[in-house]
Order: sequence, then C-alpha cells, then structure tokens
Amino acid sequence: MLKITNLSASIGNKEILKNVNIELEAGNCLLVTGQNGAGKSTLLHAIMGRPDINITGEISLAANKLHSMECHERARAGVFLAHQAPPTIDGVNTMTLLNEINKVHDMPYTRSELIAEASEKFLNMQLPNDWKKRAFNSGASGGERKKNELVQSQLFKKKTKLLLLDEPDSGLEQSSRQKIIELIEETCIAGGSVLLVTHDKELQAKYSNNKLDLSNA
Amino acid sequence: MRKVYLDAESVDFMIVPTQDLEFVFIQTEGKCTANIKVKPVADSKFKVKIYIYAEGTSEVDCVCTLDIPKEVSGVETDIQIRSWPFDRSKIKARPEMFIKNSNIIATHGNALGTLKSEDKYYLASRGVSDYKELIKQSLLNA
Repeated sequence: MLKITNLSASIGNKEILKNVNIELEAGNCLLVTGQNGAGKSTLLHAIMGRPDINITGEISLAANKLHSMECHERARAGVFLAHQAPPTIDGVNTMTLLNEINKVHDMPYTRSELIAEASEKFLNMQLPNDWKKRAFNSGASGGERKKNELVQSQLFKKKTKLLLLDEPDSGLEQSSRQKIIELIEETCIAGGSVLLVTHDKELQAKYSNNKLDLSNA
Repeated sequence: MRKVYLDAESVDFMIVPTQDLEFVFIQTEGKCTANIKVKPVADSKFKVKIYIYAEGTSEVDCVCTLDIPKEVSGVETDIQIRSWPFDRSKIKARPEMFIKNSNIIATHGNALGTLKSEDKYYLASRGVSDYKELIKQSLLNA
C-alpha cells in the first residue's frame, strides 16, 4: 500500500505541492490530473526521490519509508518511474544498463533470458534492430524514448510495487495505448500499484473512477 | 574494427583504414600515452571513434592524427573522441588533421565530461548508483 501524508514539495524557493495526502491499496491505479504546472510530474518525481526536490511529509510503500531513502534505494524497493522525457546517456550501452537493472533487482532473468526478453520486447515495440547495442536513447525520437520506457516497465514489472507513469502515451501512436493499459492491468494483478499522469482522454476515462486532482494542491 | 586497451602504458601505431575504427582506452592506474596515426588511401570512407575512460589518479594523453598528403583525394571521414575523466584522473585528447588535398570531407569532434545530473537521476531511478562501473562495463561490452 502507498501512503502519502502531508506531502509538500518545492524546487528552490518555489513551492509546488502542499499537503498532498494519498492512500492507494495494492492492485489499484490512481489517475493524477490537474492543469499544466499543477505538480503532477513533481509528485511522481518526489515519490521517486529526485535530489533537487525538497519535501516535507511522509511517503510509505508497504514497510518502506521512502521519504528517508535515496533515489536508487527507492528503485530497489520496487518504485519504477517511466519518465516523461528520458535522457540520452552517452557512454551507457542499453543492454549493459538492462543487465545492471536486472542485477539490482536480484536477477529475475539469467543473462541469456534477459537478452531474449529484451530483444522480443524491443521488436514488439517496433524499435530499431540495433536498439539494444546502442548507447542509451542515442539517436532516438521522442516516441522511441517512450517505447524504451515501456519496455523497461514491462521487463521489470514483476519486481515493481509502485509504477509511476508520467505521460506514457505522449509521442506514441494510438496503437501503443493498448500496451499501456496492459502494463497497468498486469502490474495491478501482480499486486503493484500505479500512479498515472496522462492527457490522453481515453486513458483518463478508463481510470477516472479513482482520481486525484492536483489543481488546488 | 574495435580495439580495447586496458591500463596500457604506450600505444603508438599507424593505420590505413578500410573500415570504421573504434578504440577504447580504460585506464584505472598509471599513465597511458597514445598516438594513433590515420593515413587513408584515396576515395576511402570511414569513421574513427575513440572512447577514453579514466579513474582514480590515472592519466591518458591521446592524439589521433589524420594525415592526408596532396596526392590522396576523395576521402570522407569523421573523427570523434569522447572522454570520461572520473575522480582525480586527467585526460588530454585531441584530433589533429593535416590535409593537403582540397577534395576531402573531414569532420571531427572532441567531448569531455562525466554524467550530467539528469543522467545520474535517471540511472538512480533504475536502482543504479555505481555510474563509473556502468560506463566501464558499457565500453567493454559494446
């Protein structure tokens, strides 16, 4: 269960979130809405532990006090953020990074299984053939970066207790929406929770029964 | 062609490229001096990429020289050097071009630096905290 109590978040001197409270049972998806600048992405990054976001309040995921953990520790505790604008990381090979993520998650795959699974998922997402050999997101379009995020989310969903989806649909073709829905459903069935930020009307409609509006936060 | 040098001391050679070239220097201790001389034949097309990783107090001094005499024309090439100096290591790297024919297309680039804060955050959000090892392994396994 995700429990956020009196969370306030600021970047520099600018307060972005004030007294946000969330209780989300395992196996559920919460749609986070609000106008531009309301703090939707900031909420996800505050949960993930972005170093330049100062927070007060408490964030707990099951027995883990996330608010007192470093970002990489939160990831290892099962928090997975599919970024809105994933960077190109010069010098970091895609497959080497996947291998390292696999290691920090106690090896859900053997090395050969990971290569096979990743290759299949990259193919399924219609990413280029040489994708896994490239430097991370090197030469990638915005849509390809988002697909890369979805592939990673799929690969490690069994280790994910809290999936944070930051506009996963932006830059993607309509047909990818179904993959996002499948990812959310599978994560919830496996006992994980999902926070979804999206401007996609169909996704918003599908998950509107459990909604947090940050417009006044 | 790809060649990896681990804690090398001196690398000095001349090459006549027939394909793309990639050189990787991983320096964890001591000093490495590298002189790579590239002497293409006429009408050849190739790229040269040099990756340099250094950590601790190690040092790398690398020069990649493109030498094209007057009688060699039609060459198309690009030389790129990317360096990651971690800890208190030092990297000096530069491409040098001596081109005496006007019918040549030659470009070059030289970038030095470690990871940006947004890159570190992204990797941390995947549970990765040992950035140096990740880059080292990436260069070794690419």
